[in-house]
Amino acid sequence: MFHWLEKHPFFFAVGVFLVIAFAGLIEILPNFAQASRPVIGTAPYSTLELTGRHIYIKNSCNACHSQLVRPFKSETDRYGHYSLSGEYAYDRPFLWGSKRTGPDLMRVGNYRTTDWHENHMKEPSAVVPSSIMPAYRWLFTNKSDIETAYAEQLTVAKNFGVPYNKPVSMKDGSSKTVKMGASVAEAKSIALEEAKVIAADMRDQDVKDAVANGQIPEIVALIAYLNSLK
Amino acid sequence: MDIAQLQAYGYFVLITLLVLVLYGYIYHLYSKRKDADGVDYESYSNMALKDDIEDALVSAIPDENVPLEGTKKK
Amino acid sequence: MVNRPLEYDYTVAKMFMLTTVVLGIVGMLIGVILAFELAFPGINLILGDKLAEYTNFSRLRPLHTDAVIFGFTLSGVFATWYYVGQRVLKVSMAESKLLMSVGKLHFWLYIVVVAAAVFSLFAGVTTSKEYAEFEWPIDIGVVVVWVLFGVSMFGLIGIRREKSLYISVWYYIATFLGIAMLYLFNNMEIPTMLATSPAGETGIGSWYHSVSMYSGTNDALVQWWYGHNAVAFGFTVPIVAMIYYFLPKESGQAIYSYKLSLLSFWGLMFVYLWAGGHHLLYSTVPDWMQTMASVFSVILILPSWGSAINMLLTMKGQWQQVAASPLIKFMVLASTFYMFSTLEGPIQAIKSVNAIAHFTDWIVGHVHDGVLGWVGFMIMSALFHMAPRVFKRELYSKSLMATQFWIQTLGVILYFTSMWISGITQGMMWRAHDEFGNLAYSFIDTVTVLHPYYVIRGVGGLLYLIGFLMFAYNIYKTMSSRPVEERELQNATPMGA
Repeated sequence: MFHWLEKHPFFFAVGVFLVIAFAGLIEILPNFAQASRPVIGTAPYSTLELTGRHIYIKNSCNACHSQLVRPFKSETDRYGHYSLSGEYAYDRPFLWGSKRTGPDLMRVGNYRTTDWHENHMKEPSAVVPSSIMPAYRWLFTNKSDIETAYAEQLTVAKNFGVPYNKPVSMKDGSSKTVKMGASVAEAKSIALEEAKVIAADMRDQDVKDAVANGQIPEIVALIAYLNSLK
Repeated sequence: MDIAQLQAYGYFVLITLLVLVLYGYIYHLYSKRKDADGVDYESYSNMALKDDIEDALVSAIPDENVPLEGTKKK
Repeated sequence: MVNRPLEYDYTVAKMFMLTTVVLGIVGMLIGVILAFELAFPGINLILGDKLAEYTNFSRLRPLHTDAVIFGFTLSGVFATWYYVGQRVLKVSMAESKLLMSVGKLHFWLYIVVVAAAVFSLFAGVTTSKEYAEFEWPIDIGVVVVWVLFGVSMFGLIGIRREKSLYISVWYYIATFLGIAMLYLFNNMEIPTMLATSPAGETGIGSWYHSVSMYSGTNDALVQWWYGHNAVAFGFTVPIVAMIYYFLPKESGQAIYSYKLSLLSFWGLMFVYLWAGGHHLLYSTVPDWMQTMASVFSVILILPSWGSAINMLLTMKGQWQQVAASPLIKFMVLASTFYMFSTLEGPIQAIKSVNAIAHFTDWIVGHVHDGVLGWVGFMIMSALFHMAPRVFKRELYSKSLMATQFWIQTLGVILYFTSMWISGITQGMMWRAHDEFGNLAYSFIDTVTVLHPYYVIRGVGGLLYLIGFLMFAYNIYKTMSSRPVEERELQNATPMGA
């Protein structure tokens, strides 16, 4: 059999494929049903938060910041409770990262505020002396793409049953309903309402003016996302 | 029997099978030393060393008109 | 064909040699810029505040990894396939018009996809999954290019004269299959433009955006099954294919044990795929998977060292060649670095070591001694060996090669030693507690302490880039150096002063 394989490229290729596919079959498939169930207290991303998540991805924040707290004392002391699988149920894609050039952001919403982020994004070393993070000033002028986030909400609600417009239970026993618009116009107005809350805590006059005029600078959406990480 | 138990038995059988295949292969390579056409495996190296287009072949495809699948199994 | 004797046709190989050199320079240059941005953050603004978005570390980082993986390395793999494939199968591409046009189409589509990828990454269009950043339109392009590569490979195998497949061909086939499987599964995604709102609107938002079919932990699992094995089938398997051809050919020595090469092949194929989970130790993937990934990572030393030792033993009794030929030096050092990084990787995959190493620069160091030392050196030596044969001229300068060798070796050593120290320092500082059980260092303390190592790493990377430019110049000048006879090209490559 071995001789024969070596001289029959097609069957050889089939053999190689079986050998390499074997591990994937065994390792990956069995986990699929289990891991994607959300834990209590995990709600889907709102329109603005999801927009912010896109901005996080667009700027590859995950190149330097992880979103995974490992179960060590040193990590739970620094970042909070270690990560649970169900907390990531609505993360498409996952953003665990592979390098901590900067600190973990899994629960950054618990200990950083809107104005902290605003100052930090404008000039990181003004907030954290000798920080090596570059400034992200273009976020204050670029406008967010709400429509794409809305399209993503529609896609995940339809294909993966993500519970938008449905109550999800929270840790304190209450329930929370994350709204998704019925049209692009409604999605935009929902996002703008969220943006106004964020902008109220910000100092930058240009950002405030933009939000007052119905526009959402990227920084507002990004902060909404960062505040949602808890 | 639940699915996890079935999986566990499945893995065990597969792993055993693969170990047997691997050792079978090792035994085969070192006991036979030659492939089905009687070519010593070690002379396969000549495929790289004598690779000009007119160089002698290590083992030629017998007849270009016969399709590959028609060649004999070992 | 009637009048001229049949010759190997290296047209497509030459085209890919060009992109190997060009994309190598691009990828390494971006790498050096990134390294210095970490050491001196001011460089993020190197082209001014207006263009800061495009010169920023985070925007450039995927460009660096993708340019090196899918630009430099993959071009090198294609270039060597279109060279080695013909020779070990003893069939010329000139014999089939069809294969020739498939090969050329393969090249030009590859160029189109590379251009699209560069453009989209600069614009920040990314899925964020490492080495799978491309959005779905580019993914489709990648798949088409890959299928063409497959057609061209199996087409050539189909018309071969040599009945058995040389071990390098085995590895090339595995590269093709492995990447195909991994890429398809990891990039399963739904374009969001397909969504319809309750109000009946369609085609909402940007047309190229998509959402992953997997979520959270599953997405991570699939991604690192891909991420780790893209390294396996991009950085290991095809590079082993190269060294199994080029080292014996250049030194004129038969492979030490051909049987060992066959065994290592199957071992590598089987074991490698299990190890992907070692990127997810102490994460939320099930424990049994983490443990299995650790165990298989350690087992992986065996087939890896099987190949590497086989290569070093091929030089048995011929070590004077290492001193005499810079080309042999490159290849021997490449297989040494292969041994080194396939030992280092499993060590990092042990759970207790990983607890310190994960998320630190030590991992970055590991990747780079593999890629700079093993992949880079091997691809450069392959091109050094091929250039005189495709151009029918002697290599322009031997002394330039020797200088390049030492400059780059120094560069790699500076790179990985600084990253070791930096990674372990940071890993230890993160976990340090004072006598009262409080964290001993704030996060920024663990960043500022790394500054000197970041500078050393930048210098190491710069040295490697300088060496690569010398390589590019040497290859360029070879095109116009002294013509040589066919018989001079039998084994050792002819080199000018």
